[in-house]
Amino acid sequence: MEMLIRWCVAGMLSLFLGYAGAALAFEDDEACLMCHKYPKMGRVTEDGLQKTYYIMPNVFSKTVHRNVPCRDCHSYIKELPHKPVTEGVTCNAECHSIKNPATGKPFSHKPIYDAFKKSVHGREKIAKGNDADKPYCVNCHTNPLYNAKEDKPPKHIIDRCVVCHEDAKFAEKWYNHTSRRIREVKRSSQEIVAMCSSCHADKQMLDRHQQAAKEEGRELGRKFPFAIESYEESFHGKVTKYGNTKAANCLDCHAKTVNYYLSVHELLPSRDPNSPVSAENRVETCKQCHVRADKNYAELDPHPTSKREDNPFKHYAELIYTIVGDSVLLLLVGMAAFETWGRLRDGVSWRFRDGSSWWRRTRRNSNRLP
Amino acid sequence: MKLSQEAREVLDTAKRHNRVSPEEDRDIEEVVALLPDDRSVLYKNVDSNPIGDFYRYNIHIRIQHLLIFSTFLLLAFTGLPIHYNTAFWAEPFNSVLGGLEVTRVIHRTLAAAMIFAMLYHFVTIGLGSLLKLRARVFELRRTILPVWKDIRDFKEDMQFFRGKRPVRPEMDKFMYKQKIHYFAAGFGNTVMVISGSTFLFPDVWASILPVEMASHFQEMMRLSHPHEALLALLVIAFWHWYNVHLAPGRFPMQWTFLTGKITREHQIEEHFLEYLRCIVTMPEERSYLRKLIESKKMWGTQPHD
Repeated sequence: MEMLIRWCVAGMLSLFLGYAGAALAFEDDEACLMCHKYPKMGRVTEDGLQKTYYIMPNVFSKTVHRNVPCRDCHSYIKELPHKPVTEGVTCNAECHSIKNPATGKPFSHKPIYDAFKKSVHGREKIAKGNDADKPYCVNCHTNPLYNAKEDKPPKHIIDRCVVCHEDAKFAEKWYNHTSRRIREVKRSSQEIVAMCSSCHADKQMLDRHQQAAKEEGRELGRKFPFAIESYEESFHGKVTKYGNTKAANCLDCHAKTVNYYLSVHELLPSRDPNSPVSAENRVETCKQCHVRADKNYAELDPHPTSKREDNPFKHYAELIYTIVGDSVLLLLVGMAAFETWGRLRDGVSWRFRDGSSWWRRTRRNSNRLP
Repeated sequence: MKLSQEAREVLDTAKRHNRVSPEEDRDIEEVVALLPDDRSVLYKNVDSNPIGDFYRYNIHIRIQHLLIFSTFLLLAFTGLPIHYNTAFWAEPFNSVLGGLEVTRVIHRTLAAAMIFAMLYHFVTIGLGSLLKLRARVFELRRTILPVWKDIRDFKEDMQFFRGKRPVRPEMDKFMYKQKIHYFAAGFGNTVMVISGSTFLFPDVWASILPVEMASHFQEMMRLSHPHEALLALLVIAFWHWYNVHLAPGRFPMQWTFLTGKITREHQIEEHFLEYLRCIVTMPEERSYLRKLIESKKMWGTQPHD
């Protein structure tokens, strides 16, 4: 009995320690997990949205921000328990704990944030009205988990690192950090289309912006109301949908290939001469894939629709095609039916028997003779 | 039978082309004179071999038809799931073939085979016509090319079906319906090849067209390819197959596409002018007619309403 109690206590202890081990996967020097470790930590906002403030330490410890202390970003937290959060995290803040290894200065996303603000999507963290429809950093950047290809870095590499960098853990982290960037980790074409579609295929959002532009007398892109719909109609859209990785996705045309990762933050409307899809730059953009593209080729519509407001030529051409096609079919089938009726009256039958199809008697005198 | 002026011309031309001897000429004229005046009596009373009695299409034309219809059907079955790729039936279909990318490759390969069949056809009819021209036996009215007579034939045939004419018009080897079908298919194939090439080589087409036309042309081609394909498929399914498989007298199918031969009753009913050529070139047909007319005592029948 005593032995059984001992084993039970040992089992419970090991379970507890195991849980504690998991909880401590991320260093919580600021004691934020004191509250945020509870899965039900959250509230329902005045707008009826359910917000969760639960942090999973063992997950967070694998993200790109795992080394950033909470208050480097949540800098408005001054005491515990903290006051209600009004603005929240802005991505242009400077990290005090993380230094830019190139400059030695505090690390910050400010340069890319400033570039983003100048783009057609640019907005403040707290945006009002239609600006709130625009994406903020976290709409696209979801604090991704490290997805190192190998669970453990190759031993022959770490062995070499630790010759100088004695801390093998540091070497592993460095390897994960760099290898992730050396490998292509950008979204697939399908994911990029899905990402852009999450806003640009939202009918209500599109209506809101068109209405606002109309009221303000502001110009919108000609394809804005049906950008996704028309892309999906195009060759690029169709083949991308089925996994082709060579056909253009949204960013292949709307962002510049040179310095791509900066350019995707600087998207501009096509009427802006700096946009890769502006009249001035379109040929060069097409040429990235279609090497023989010229001025004429750049006139082809990559967002084709048959809507009257977008392409009246195609709209009416399609209408005429449908009418002509249906009429031709109807006339031919009608002709065949009329012919059958006429020939049946002449005495033909469906059954071919004893060398003839003309065994039916008719009112005419020209029946088959015995 | 007293021949019409057109029928007389065809008969005389056929006799000249076949250099018939005076004896044969006499035999032909006697048989023609014995034929009942009402042609419907003739096509209703002859005996036909369902596999076919008279030579009509040579082996090249039959191979071309096989190539065209097999590639056409496979092109339609691979093209439709590409165009209607979001339809409930398209995705499993594409998956069975290995995905949309594979379907596209199959579609293009079949298109190349169909273009080959078209070229083969042009060579065949081109060389065939040249040989006939050289031998001085070429007859425009016997070809598939439309002539004014076709419009008249069409009008008269419709009158016959309405019961306003006692007999069907005397039509040549290719009647108006076949000419419509041939040129519809020819036009359709040309549209499909040109529009298909604009999908494969949009840059080439854009560079050779004026800038103000380039986009409209591409749009038209994007429209034309699926519209024309669907129309062709429906015309084949509801018109061509009806005409050659399901229509009375043709049911369950004509063997022409395999044997190259047409039945006697069909030849007389719809291609009487061509039948006259058979009378000229086939002594055994003349003997058959003599026996038939005698056994059924059909001579002297007069046209009636």
